[in-house]
Amino acid sequence: MPNLLPNLFKQRPADEVRRSQRGLTLLIVGALSAAIAFVGVVQIRSQAEVVRSLEGQDNTSLAFLIDDLHRANDALAGQGSELTARRDRLRSSGGTAADPALQEEGQRLRMVEGLVPVHGPGLIVAIDAPLSRLDLEDAVNDLRAAGAEQMAINDHRVITGTVFRQNGNAVTIDGDATHGPWTIAVIGNLDRLTVVADMMMQSLRSDRRVRQATYRVEPDLVIRATVPERPFVYGTS
Amino acid sequence: MAALLVGFGSAAQLRSQLVAPYNRVERNQALVRSVQDLERTNGAERARIATLRAQIASQETDAARRSDQTHELEQEIANLRAHAGITPLRGPGVTVEIRNGKPAGDGQIGYLTTYQDVQDVVNLLFTGGAEGVAVNHRRITPLSAYRGSAGTVEIDDGPPLTAPFRISAVGNRGQMEQLLGDASNLGDLRHRQREFGIQFSFGGSPELSLPAFDGSLEVPNAQPVA
Repeated sequence: MPNLLPNLFKQRPADEVRRSQRGLTLLIVGALSAAIAFVGVVQIRSQAEVVRSLEGQDNTSLAFLIDDLHRANDALAGQGSELTARRDRLRSSGGTAADPALQEEGQRLRMVEGLVPVHGPGLIVAIDAPLSRLDLEDAVNDLRAAGAEQMAINDHRVITGTVFRQNGNAVTIDGDATHGPWTIAVIGNLDRLTVVADMMMQSLRSDRRVRQATYRVEPDLVIRATVPERPFVYGTS
Repeated sequence: MAALLVGFGSAAQLRSQLVAPYNRVERNQALVRSVQDLERTNGAERARIATLRAQIASQETDAARRSDQTHELEQEIANLRAHAGITPLRGPGVTVEIRNGKPAGDGQIGYLTTYQDVQDVVNLLFTGGAEGVAVNHRRITPLSAYRGSAGTVEIDDGPPLTAPFRISAVGNRGQMEQLLGDASNLGDLRHRQREFGIQFSFGGSPELSLPAFDGSLEVPNAQPVA
């Protein structure tokens, strides 16, 4: 037995290295397997959650969802084609096409962010009613969901992120107090906008608070109001 | 003989009762499959857009190294892109979490999170000084809109999102936390928190990261006034 000890001790370093290497390998394989299993389970669970939630929807809701997804995918495909063409132009020009492309993008982003006056086909919605901050936020969202590209309420330019606050009977829009009657100017796809405007009118006319609600189509509506530039204070890109 | 007839009769009755619901389920499953196919396409298109934007940015950076004018333009556009949400944003902020409550069994759907809940929280965060917001990793842009039916929320060109919803905002952390903690805000959500057990919580963080928007920001009908 005493003789064995030195051998054991002699063998031990090599065995230990092998064992610790094997242990390490097993540990890594185990950890990886556990991680893969975890990710797999999480993925399956989250996928199952989405499927469960979809299966809980009635056929009409699913049909609307399909319509929304078709429209979204068309818009994404269009944006993808536009970006592909831009990338290819940049590649083939050796960079000289960068300036006009950047200028064009800058012009579009200034419109998107409400920094410049805009014009285009649209609607003027007129509502004589004591609308609240929430009513206005909902109206903005409904019009936006129907394809509104640019909007102003009582000559205040509105983007997602515009702050509405209730101030007694008045509503402040980005700090400026305003009140009814309300005029909402919207630029966008007229076919889609008129559908939602008709629905809005129906809903508004059944609301006791509403004295009058109308809309008219404008082939070339001008929105001059702009949003002031707000430099980031906290965020960095 | 009578028992046989009763047996056949019952079987026929049972079959006629089962066929209609089975068809309904089939139809529902076919629609669910369509949604899933479209969602896969949606994911692939958004990934393609993200890749293309990265490739373009890299080529523009190369061009900016060769020209001062391009460099200046690139800086200006970088700022516009950041405000439009098409580049990632990081900084201090808050994360709000909303989870569905439990169904009461009486058919009411107030326990489900709606797109209005998400819209109200995002608007409150902007009121509190948010400079950028993302909902379940979908970046909100100046053109963002919310829609959906109870339990699902669609934002812009993205696929339907389901609870739990994590709404992250970079900006004035203290002010956003104060507004979120004020019981006079988010009235509908707080009411359903009491009535239906919807879970609403929030927490601040010294450093949050928001992803870039990976959808379309085209405005085909609007033109700048000359």
